[in-house]
Amino acid sequence: MRLFKNGSIVSEDSPEPKRGDVLVDEKGIIQQVAETIEGADGTRTVDCSGCVLVPGMFDLNVHSREPGFEHKETLASCAEAAIHGGVTGLVLMPDMAPPVDSGNLVKSLQDLVSEVSPISMYVSGCLTKQRRGEELAGFSGMASRGAVMLTDADHEVPCPDLLRRCMEYAKDFDLLVTTHGDTPALTKAGAINEGAVSYRLGLPGIPAISQEIALERDMRVAQHTGARLHLQQVSTANGVKSIASAKEEGINVTCEVSPYHLLLTEEDVEDYNTHFKLDPPLRRQSDCDALVQGLIDGTIDAIASNHAPHTEFEKSSDFATAPFGVSGLETTVLAIFDHFISREVFGWDLFIKKYSADPRRIVKLEPVKIATGEKSQFFVFDPNGMTTISRDYLKTKSPVSPFLGKTLKGEIRETVV
Amino acid sequence: MSDTPDITTEEILTSQGIEDAIAVLAAEIVSRCGDQNLAFVGVYTRGVTLARRVADVLAAKGKDCSVGTLDISLYRDDFDNRGRDLPKLNSSNVPFELEGTRVILFDEVIFTGRTVRAALDALADYGRPSKIELAVLIDRGHREIPVQPDYIGRKLETELCQYVKVRFLEDDKKEGVFLVTEK
Amino acid sequence: MSDLTPRKDLLDIASLSLEEIEYIFENAAPFKQLFQRSVKKVPTLRGKTVLNLFYEPSTRTSSSFEVAASRMSADVTNFTVSSSSIVKGESLLDTIETLQAMKSDYIVIRHAAAGVPGLVAKHTRASVVNAGDGYHAHPTQALLDSMTLREVYPDYEGRKVVIVGDILHSRVARSTATLFNKLGIEVGVLGPGSLVPEGRHDFMKRFDSWEDVFDWRPDAVYLLRVQLERQEGQFFPSIAEYHKMYGMHSERIEKMRQLGAYLMHPGPVNRGVEITDEAMGYEKSLINTQVENGIAVRMAVLHWLKPETDKD
Repeated sequence: MRLFKNGSIVSEDSPEPKRGDVLVDEKGIIQQVAETIEGADGTRTVDCSGCVLVPGMFDLNVHSREPGFEHKETLASCAEAAIHGGVTGLVLMPDMAPPVDSGNLVKSLQDLVSEVSPISMYVSGCLTKQRRGEELAGFSGMASRGAVMLTDADHEVPCPDLLRRCMEYAKDFDLLVTTHGDTPALTKAGAINEGAVSYRLGLPGIPAISQEIALERDMRVAQHTGARLHLQQVSTANGVKSIASAKEEGINVTCEVSPYHLLLTEEDVEDYNTHFKLDPPLRRQSDCDALVQGLIDGTIDAIASNHAPHTEFEKSSDFATAPFGVSGLETTVLAIFDHFISREVFGWDLFIKKYSADPRRIVKLEPVKIATGEKSQFFVFDPNGMTTISRDYLKTKSPVSPFLGKTLKGEIRETVV
Repeated sequence: MSDTPDITTEEILTSQGIEDAIAVLAAEIVSRCGDQNLAFVGVYTRGVTLARRVADVLAAKGKDCSVGTLDISLYRDDFDNRGRDLPKLNSSNVPFELEGTRVILFDEVIFTGRTVRAALDALADYGRPSKIELAVLIDRGHREIPVQPDYIGRKLETELCQYVKVRFLEDDKKEGVFLVTEK
Repeated sequence: MSDLTPRKDLLDIASLSLEEIEYIFENAAPFKQLFQRSVKKVPTLRGKTVLNLFYEPSTRTSSSFEVAASRMSADVTNFTVSSSSIVKGESLLDTIETLQAMKSDYIVIRHAAAGVPGLVAKHTRASVVNAGDGYHAHPTQALLDSMTLREVYPDYEGRKVVIVGDILHSRVARSTATLFNKLGIEVGVLGPGSLVPEGRHDFMKRFDSWEDVFDWRPDAVYLLRVQLERQEGQFFPSIAEYHKMYGMHSERIEKMRQLGAYLMHPGPVNRGVEITDEAMGYEKSLINTQVENGIAVRMAVLHWLKPETDKD
């Protein structure tokens, strides 16, 4: 038995933390939650004075890299990083080698996960075979094996007709269709948001319309087919506007934003730092503002880190050549706390809703709660602590992060799973 | 040029002294060179001033003598050791045919001789004078290479820890030769 | 003199102080004067090695650096990586390792990707000179352009220059315009909307036609080279149309003559595209002076930069 004593419990339902002690048994089931619990003999007590107990986060957008790219990340290191970052459940993107585009591959990935991961890693499948955007992947097999969504990850389904068939077909299985919002003909070899900074640095730009047009297209196809659509990594103010109006029209759409797009801008790409090279690219301050607003007003449903590990060596090439993506599982909670919660832009309740409860609901899972009888999935967070994001701190194989070397407010003491 | 406990400055030549030394140089040059086709080349910065002053003295005696200028920065052998002071280059200007000309090279002070070596290299890239000689206002000794002046305004016994500062009105807004000793 | 300390690398124009820029110009003039001598060489960099590392072919820039280095008695190694074997990002770091082992004192680098010279500079003790990276910067071009303009306009401040052509893909436009701006020279741009990006420097005044340009009474017109391969990108309908809209021909030269405006071009010129044969003969063309000044400026840059040594 373990007793988490003298802490406060936060949830999506209440802006104020509530005093609460939590008793967890050997099987990881929460035995009791009460204002004060006295530890019996043999109970290990964890002093949580000054700390909050936070329901485990759920990340909708994680690239585990295994199988196929184990030099970047493995399922084991990914799980370790997630736990270290307060994330107790996540959805694996299907862009491994081979891409997860059939029921058998879903099954074999689930088997791999169950061997190495102490936390729930849900599997997504591809929309099209090999993510090539040419023909439908094996939807029924993937659905029956329990794939929680279908997505070609950062590949756009290029043909609107094919996307339409995907959505029509996915609807039969009540599968969530997830897209990344990109117009390759506009993105081309772009490496950074198109604008003043891309001009100054002389890098090929990716215009905002590249994502905006794709979002619009995907939402219209979803409207036309009645399918459920989830949009990943919304990055622009216009995108938020489109989604808000689509929701008003009753289109069955949800969307996510990354912590990076909420709090960093293109201006941060100083000195060609590839740790700021993201897909979609970091945009302008006005976009950040609109995204934060969208998160608060409900237009944006979820925060997802788009944990996309690459080796430091891969990232150490020139900006245009370096791959897109950074690791995110271990820094999302800290970054959001530092930038928003500690500055009272929004509270734990909104954050838990957007990074724990609603992401689970999007893939039809029950949100986790810190309550009697529940499986323990929470973490102990010290709002007065400080965390320096160093190579040593990070458990991911990819110490590539815009926050590398920075000190963020707050400290994740322990994640209980 | 105020003295501190560690640095002492001694005036070796006043402006009158400089004038006298220049007169000595001019007289010696006239006596040795006679009517030969003669040109002066001054090494930047004060060598140029010295050359011009001597030329002025000769001009007053009715002997015209053109003065060229030479920046030897690009010929120095200590380019790697340039420290925080970045060398500002000057345009060298040798506006006369060197072939068949007797050239007198001017520098204000001769010390190790390395500047003169660089100047000789530089001058060679402009042409082949019939003869090159060296005139200095001050010879303070301590040569590191076998180069000796032909015309000397004033010879000075110095220590290695000392240095000789020549100041000309044209370049420095004051005039005089000073021996500075750092302890 | 206070801010003037030796630098290891020259990567862009933006980071240069006015004092440094002035210093380079002041030293470039004596270097240029050396070209009048029969012996154009000085021994300054004797025993030093300059590596010309070109990932994009450019005979002109590479030769200009080679001549500059040779005239300072450096040993020059030319290392051109053909465009057919585009080097991947991964191997760039390996290349840097190799370069480091070769113990060059100066590395002159051109690369299609912006930021590569900076990356190389971080990993090597040699002084790195950016000879053009992506659309980012071409600092020695900017220096030679400004030197050329200052020679004809000693009172350059407040003078007006129009840059014509592909601003979007031009590192020349970026660096040269930035330097002109630093020197107090007004900069205008003329070109099709598809090649004059919105995010450009806000000091660049945009013109829509030659009429507007001439009404502005520019002191010089700077034609950019039309990258013919951009045609694939369909940035403008045809070469003929580009020439008609933005090219320099006799009629426009006549207008230039009336204004007394100088003509500049970074080379190599596409005759019949951005400029006609007749216009090439314009008496106030500075194109050849730009080439000559390019060598002088590059000598001044090599003279200025200070590689790290074992002693550092």
